[in-house]
Amino acid sequence: MSIALQAGLGFLRQAMLLAGIAIAVFLLIRIVPGDVVDSMALEGSLDDEAIAALRAELGLDAGTLTQFRIWVSRALVGDFGNSLRFDRPASELILAALPTTLGLAALALAAGLALGIVMAAAAALWPGSALPSLVEILNLWSIALPTFCVGLAAILVFSVWLGWLPVIGQWLSPVLILAVDIAGQVAKPLHEDLKEAATASHIRTARAKGLSPARIVLRHLLPNALTTVVALGGLILAGLIGGALTMEVLFGLPGLGTLAYQAISGRDYPVIQAVVLVFAVGVVMVNWATDAIQRSLDPRLRR
Amino acid sequence: MSSYGAALAAPPRGSNKVGFSFGMAILGLALLVAIIGPTLVPHDPLTQELAARNAPPDAAHWFGHDHLGRDVLARLVAGTRISLAVALGATLLAMLLGAGLGLAAEALGRWPSFLVFGVFDMVRALPSILLALTLMVALGIGIIPLIVALGVAYAPHMALVARAAWRRESATGYVAAARVMGAAPLATLWRHVLPNIAGALVTQAAIIMPRAITTESVLSFFGLGVSPETPSWGRMISGASRFAESAPHAVLAPVLALCVVTLGFALVGDRLRLALDPLRERGR
Repeated sequence: MSIALQAGLGFLRQAMLLAGIAIAVFLLIRIVPGDVVDSMALEGSLDDEAIAALRAELGLDAGTLTQFRIWVSRALVGDFGNSLRFDRPASELILAALPTTLGLAALALAAGLALGIVMAAAAALWPGSALPSLVEILNLWSIALPTFCVGLAAILVFSVWLGWLPVIGQWLSPVLILAVDIAGQVAKPLHEDLKEAATASHIRTARAKGLSPARIVLRHLLPNALTTVVALGGLILAGLIGGALTMEVLFGLPGLGTLAYQAISGRDYPVIQAVVLVFAVGVVMVNWATDAIQRSLDPRLRR
Repeated sequence: MSSYGAALAAPPRGSNKVGFSFGMAILGLALLVAIIGPTLVPHDPLTQELAARNAPPDAAHWFGHDHLGRDVLARLVAGTRISLAVALGATLLAMLLGAGLGLAAEALGRWPSFLVFGVFDMVRALPSILLALTLMVALGIGIIPLIVALGVAYAPHMALVARAAWRRESATGYVAAARVMGAAPLATLWRHVLPNIAGALVTQAAIIMPRAITTESVLSFFGLGVSPETPSWGRMISGASRFAESAPHAVLAPVLALCVVTLGFALVGDRLRLALDPLRERGR
C-alpha cells in the first residue's frame, strides 16, 4: 500500500472515531439528571413559568433526538451554540482559550524535547560520566511525580514560602513542570536506543574512519533515533494535553482546561460538548499525524 | 506464581534492587496505614475544633489542624484508606472491563474485536482526566461513581496491553494445538492463554494504580471526586490550598503523601515491568 493510501485510510478511521465521540458525549451529558436551568433555579428564585420559558428559549424542551439533529447540523458549520452561562457563542469562548492552551503545550513540548534529546545525546557521548544516572533520575521523576503534585509543591515553595512567583497567572512554573515531565519520558528510551544503535556496523565504520564522537552522535545516531521520539510523541502529547488541563486550573491560566472545568461545574452543555470535541479532535489528529510521520521516517513500517 | 517469584529473585539487567525494596516498603506502609491506621490515631477525621483552625503541629496533633479545625493526621490516615480503595477498585474494574471485554472480543473473532476496540479507541481519544471529569458529571459525586469513572477511563489502556499479549500468544504452538483439538475459543483463552499473559496485566495494573490515585486527587481537587466531607487527599488539598499561606502544613501533608505513594508504585512497577512483562524480553 502506498503511504498516501494508508494515510487516507487512517484518516477515515479517525473521522469515524470522532463521529462516535460526538454522539457519545452528546448522550452522556443528556443522561445527567438536572440541567442548567435546574441549577439556575436553585441559585436564584425562578418560578415555574420562568423555568419553562427559559427551557424553550435554550431549546432544552425538545426531544433528545431533535436536540441532537439540530446540534449536529450546526456543529458541522462551526456553530456549537451559545454558552448557557456567558451568553456568548461556545466557539468564541474556545477560540479565546485556544492560544493559552496551545502556547502552554507548544512551549512545554519544545523545551521538554530539547532537554530530553540533549540529555540523551550527552549521556551517550559520555557514558562514564554522571549523565546516564541523571537520565535515569529524570525518568523516575516523570514516572513517580505527577505534574499535579509538582505543581502544588511549586506553588507552596516558590509562591507561598519564597514569594518569588505569583500564585496564579504565571507561565514559568507550568511550562517548566510539563517540560521536565516530557524530558524524563523522552530521555531514557532515546538513550537506550542510542546505546543500542552505537553497536551497529555503520557506526563502527564511522569510528574507524576517524569521525569524532560528537559528529557520530549528531550525524549518524540521532537521525535514526528520531523515530523513537516520534513513536513516543503520541503518548507524550496525550499526557501533555491532560497535564496542561490540570496546570491551567492550578495556575489560573485562561485556557481550554479552565474553560472545561468551568463548563463542567456549571452544567454548560454547549461548551462541554464543544471543548470535549476539540480535545478529541486534537488527540485524534495527533495520533494520525504521528502514525503518518513515523511511516514516512521509517520505511520498515510501510507494509 | 513460582515462576514470577523466580523472575523477581533473579534481577534482570538494569533493574534497581534497592529501589524495588524501597518501593515495596512504601506500599507496605501505605497499606498498613490504610488498614489499621484509623484505629491508631486518637482523633476523629470529621470533628471540628473551631478554636484550633489552621493551628500548626503540636505534641497532641502531630500534623496540626486544617482550616475547619480538623486533625490533619486523622484525615491523612483516613484519606489513605479512601485513596487506596478507590485506586484498587478502579484498577480492578479497568482490568475486568478492559482485559475481560478486550480478550473475549479478540477470542470471538474479527467483528466483535473491531466493535469493542472501536469503543475503546473512542474512550482513549480523550485525556483520562477530561473523560473522568465528564463521567463524574453524569454519575454524580461519591466513591462508587469515582471508581466507575476511573475504571472506564483506564479500561482501554488495559485492553491494549491484553490484546498485544493475546496476539503474541495466539501465534504460539500451544494455542494452535488447543484449537486443533477442538477447544472453544473462550475456553482456550481462560485455561491456556490467561495464565501466560497475567504478568503483562499485573504490570499494567501497577502502572494504572498510581495514575488512578492521582486522578482521584485531581478530580476531588476540582470538586468532582468524593463528597466534600469525605477525607480524601484531593479534598484535603483543595480545602487547605486556599489557606496555604497561614497553614502550609495542611496542604503539604496530603501533597507529600500523594508524591510518596506514586513514587512507591513507580519503583515497584519499574521492576515488575522488567521481571514480568514478556513483551519487552522477547521484543528486542
